[in-house]
Amino acid sequence: MTITSTPSAASPRSVRERLLRRGREQAQADRAVLVLHDVTKTYPNGKTALQDVDLVIPEGDFVFLVGPSGAGKSTLIKLLIRDELASHGQVVLDGQDLARLPRRAVPKVRRKIGIVFQDFKLLPTKSVWENVAFALEVTGTPRRKIRPAVDRVLALVGLTAQREQVPSQLSGGEQQRTAIARALVHDPRLIIADEPTGNLDPLISWEIIQLLLRINELGVTVMMATHDADVVTALRKRVVALEEGRVIRDEVGGAYHRVD
Amino acid sequence: MIGFVAFSIRRAWQGFWRNALMSLAATATMVLMLVLLAGFWIIQTGLLSALDFTEQKVEVVANIDLDATPADIAGLEARIRAMPEVTGVTFVSKDEALARFQASMKAQGREDLTKYLDTNPLTASEEVKLKDPGFSKTVADALRKEPAVRNVLDTKDTAQNVKTVTDILRTAGTVILVVIGVIVLFIIVNTIRLAVFARSEEIEIMRLVGASDAFIRWPFVFEGAMVGLFGAAITLTGLYLLSEPIASFMVDFFRVLPLSFGSLANQLILIVTAAGLGLGILGSWVSVRTYLIR
Repeated sequence: MTITSTPSAASPRSVRERLLRRGREQAQADRAVLVLHDVTKTYPNGKTALQDVDLVIPEGDFVFLVGPSGAGKSTLIKLLIRDELASHGQVVLDGQDLARLPRRAVPKVRRKIGIVFQDFKLLPTKSVWENVAFALEVTGTPRRKIRPAVDRVLALVGLTAQREQVPSQLSGGEQQRTAIARALVHDPRLIIADEPTGNLDPLISWEIIQLLLRINELGVTVMMATHDADVVTALRKRVVALEEGRVIRDEVGGAYHRVD
Repeated sequence: MIGFVAFSIRRAWQGFWRNALMSLAATATMVLMLVLLAGFWIIQTGLLSALDFTEQKVEVVANIDLDATPADIAGLEARIRAMPEVTGVTFVSKDEALARFQASMKAQGREDLTKYLDTNPLTASEEVKLKDPGFSKTVADALRKEPAVRNVLDTKDTAQNVKTVTDILRTAGTVILVVIGVIVLFIIVNTIRLAVFARSEEIEIMRLVGASDAFIRWPFVFEGAMVGLFGAAITLTGLYLLSEPIASFMVDFFRVLPLSFGSLANQLILIVTAAGLGLGILGSWVSVRTYLIR
């Protein structure tokens, strides 16, 4: 953006306004948990999964990521956890450009993100409590800090009573809540939920959505990829629609489908 | 740091028993491979000592002139001893030569023809042991120039043949040992790779929750070391239980007394343990690499 240099084209006041607005945008970007700037991802096989994606997710936002299979949602998530690097453009998570991150620093950045999957990805031989504690153990958290942290998130997701059970003894909703507890236990800046309700029936799905909304109210930014049109349309949150690797729609209070 | 090591060892222990079937399969493969390695090491050691023994048998025999005086013989013996290629000299007198001949005839069950003789027709001789069968020609030539020597038993061809055969066997043994080592390495690495693959979901979760490479790698490396150590322990116990038959096999097969069996046992403990540990660690290290941050 260039500031108009000819005084006749704009009044001094409008220049000031534009400068102010730019300042606000900048400040918003600074507070943003996630900024994608002009991101393109082309895989070695030549397939372009994302193209010219611009996305700013401010702190505390709740964003639905929608789009058909193969639209680039999974690639986007892989870029966020730095499993893949963007071919072009910047991915900035909590102020850090992931492309410039040294390899050693990658795990620390991943701890700022909690991920929840459609298939839960729980360890079948570990209890609910151990599954959640696992996330802290493998990141070198001292044992005395593990116990209170795990107890706290289990209380938050309402699984204190099931703490000793193994995943096979739990319902689908309880398994997903365990996964959410595990994602939360690091106090992440951003929760990414990849089709968290894909394997659950509608009633249980709503429970999970309610839980994610409550977590969002506690100040954690949530990004949820979903195919569940009813949920997206009912909640009227921000909706980012991807199609063939491009953002085709980004609106606050949107429905699952474009309303014309 | 201590916490990290404790964590890794605890996780390795858990990982080993929670995937007991995979771990046992890996350990069984390890045992099999170590037995193969140890077995071949035993054969190689036996072969080498048999070869050494055979080579020691190669000697140059100098028959001594009938009219040589004891002083001539003593001088000759001193000169032979001074040769750098020689390890030992034995003087065989005429009487000893006759006694040996009679004994060997008797041993072969043949009639002792010497009883029809009035005098002893055999000559005294010097039996010269060589450091290496390759020296036989040099020593034989030197002995031929000695005035007290009547003739030198021509063992040149025999010595050369023995030398050729032993050299081939030594090289072949080393080559086969190396080849077996490489094969063992590949099989072990692949088995451990399977065991790690069975846990790929766990590794993926660790990556997603932000575990550093060290936290992902070291539990597996310790687990590999555990497989190696268990394998080595089982292999060595087995070998210990079978040490009697192995010893008698070596005696029968190579016709060598396993005088060095004690040192062979020490070697085996060292080799089997080091190989088990090394293969286990290397296998896990290589297998887990695929899952680390690119």
